[in-house]
Amino acid sequence: MIERQLTLIMENKPGALARVVGLFHQRGYNIDSLHVDPVEDFVPYKFIEDELNIKFSKGEVSRLIIKTTVGDALMRQILRQINKLIEVIAISDNESTYLKGILRDENLL
Amino acid sequence: MKLAGNDMLIQSLINEGVEYIFGYPGGAALHIYDSIFQQKEMQHILVRHEQGATHAADGYARATGKPGVVMVTSGPGATNAITGIATAFMDSIPMIVISGQVQSHLIGTDAFQETDMIGISRPIVKHSFTVDHQSNIAQIVKEAFHIATSGRQGPVVIDIPKDITSPDNLFDFEYPKEVNIRSYNPPLDPDPLQIERVVEAILNANQPVIYAGGGTISSNASEELKELNSYINVPVTNTLMGLGVYPATDEKFLGMLGMHGTFQANMAMHNADLILAIGARFDDRITNTPEKFAPNAQIVHFDVDHSSVSKIIEADIAVFGQVKNSLTAINSLIKKRSAEIDSTKIQKWHAQIAEWKNSHGLNHDLYKDTSDDKPILPQAVVQHIYQASKGDAFVTSDVGQHQMFAAQYYHFDEPRKWINSGGLGTMGFGLPSAMGVKLAYPNEEVVCITGEGSIQMCIQELSTCSQYKLPIKIFNINNLSLGMVKQWQDMNYDGRHSSISYEDSLPDFKSLVESYGHVGIKITKNSELKNGIEKAFSIKDKLVFVDIFVDPNEHVYPMLVAPNGSLKDMWLSKGNKT
Ligand SMILES: Cc1ncc(C[n+]2csc(CCOP(=O)(O)OP(=O)(O)O)c2C)c(N)n1
Ligand SMILES: [Mg+2]
Repeated sequence: MIERQLTLIMENKPGALARVVGLFHQRGYNIDSLHVDPVEDFVPYKFIEDELNIKFSKGEVSRLIIKTTVGDALMRQILRQINKLIEVIAISDNESTYLKGILRDENLL
Repeated sequence: MKLAGNDMLIQSLINEGVEYIFGYPGGAALHIYDSIFQQKEMQHILVRHEQGATHAADGYARATGKPGVVMVTSGPGATNAITGIATAFMDSIPMIVISGQVQSHLIGTDAFQETDMIGISRPIVKHSFTVDHQSNIAQIVKEAFHIATSGRQGPVVIDIPKDITSPDNLFDFEYPKEVNIRSYNPPLDPDPLQIERVVEAILNANQPVIYAGGGTISSNASEELKELNSYINVPVTNTLMGLGVYPATDEKFLGMLGMHGTFQANMAMHNADLILAIGARFDDRITNTPEKFAPNAQIVHFDVDHSSVSKIIEADIAVFGQVKNSLTAINSLIKKRSAEIDSTKIQKWHAQIAEWKNSHGLNHDLYKDTSDDKPILPQAVVQHIYQASKGDAFVTSDVGQHQMFAAQYYHFDEPRKWINSGGLGTMGFGLPSAMGVKLAYPNEEVVCITGEGSIQMCIQELSTCSQYKLPIKIFNINNLSLGMVKQWQDMNYDGRHSSISYEDSLPDFKSLVESYGHVGIKITKNSELKNGIEKAFSIKDKLVFVDIFVDPNEHVYPMLVAPNGSLKDMWLSKGNKT
């Protein structure tokens, strides 16, 4: 088990954060730390806009950074479960990124 | 067009093609109910408890493939719906639950009948919405139906404060034609490279098994599955949720697998060298101890949900996409390569399976014994129901021994005909879900196989059945106890029967149902069984409740040995295991 960092880009909608936090509790995963802020600078996420053919505007999306200590198989399961949340646009750990169902073998966030 | 919020909500449901709303009114939903009153396109079915509404909508959805729609008020109305939402969630059933909420300005004040429905339902919904303004109603309803019915399906809650449905304020209304949720994109078509790998694996296998579950039904992929097996001719087993997706009367069908699966299905899985898992999720009732599951098998997993694959059992080949699309892709490739299929290999495997079936398969002829010196066997009851309904009925069930006997002994040849709560195991599901099925298919035979424990969990719906004239046939396999719990106590607790008996408190079900205006039949002897069951089916225009007193000491077998057992470790009868 090692400490990992997860990064999420999600719609800034009421209740969205509770779904992520609730999922950790519901599935028995632990959160070591959690940080949320609205995304102001979209330049680093331009590839998401390109890949998903969307355009972000101000105040629309948030970035979450979650630290958790788990093994490899569980990490993969956490990524997949979070990816399933309707409001999550992208999620990555150090090795892979889900862009709404499209899996990439690198950390793009 | 300008409409008030309540009319917008109802008009949106009409635009979605909704036929029935299952629900129960109350303060926070009053504006909505006023709109329901003033339209003719949809029928509202007034249940007797909100749990009944959710199960009825769920039964409707399972039988038709269309989403079931539920309407409840805030507070207790919403909380009463929770069990049914969880039931639909566990089995991935499309459902829309609209809950009234207190007025926006009262939220958070512990107002009368306020509960945080979004919070309470969060872990058991696919998604949920709070409506914050009238102008969002149409878009939210459109998105809710889209989410509920696409990808891995599931229930969606729409919580709507009373002021938003007020008739006083009019806003522009236009129902969206399309929906595109940028953050939601469930997979459809499989990766062609994976399809090639699957075909190679099939051609190389000596002892392959198809293990198909409820996802194959949700994806409407029964025809594609049958087509696949017309090329490759391999043994097929179904999960409890998958029964009917492959015809049970086909000679390649092994029966259900898992906890109470057939000997041959469990043995075939344990000894397989290739398992094609199709829309199935390796539930713990299927795998027994995961480390001991199918030790020599290569696993191919077809699923629309990434998180189901390699969650319990690591997949060697994962095929993401709608099961229907994935099977279509496999079929077109395997058709071209059918000359490479080695049928002698498969014959050896089928011969081995036939041997297992002959040694410890289920006895499907128990119904032939009509002697009155022995008590009625619950298995024989199901066999009689199967005969009398010509194997063609929709069968709903509850939870317990009767459910397992129904799954083992009623042979389903078509998908969507076996309706039961597999994932959550909700007692009380059988009767209300049968109402939903009967409303969807008024000319078809709808049977509910239940137990005297389960039926009492939603028995109030007998009244709904009188009001809407739903001539369901209910068979109560009455063993005077919580039979499945008793079986576990017999097997694991030296027969200490803790709280499984009602002593002398059971109602006389015959007179009870008669008081609702239904027909009651009571059967206590083998010699009455055939005629009694046939009589029930001969009464076309009335609900018939057949109360059948069976052997209270019967157990369901086979039963997997747990903990630490594998799929080949089964109890085959009392005191006798593999
Ligand atoms: C709502 C609910 N409560 C408890 C259980 C646990 N449980 C599973 S089977 C069973 C007994 C069911 O009794 P009955 O309906 O008479 O069926 P039988 O097993 O006797 O055929 C119980 C209590 C459950 N599945 N659902
Ligand atoms: Mg019972």
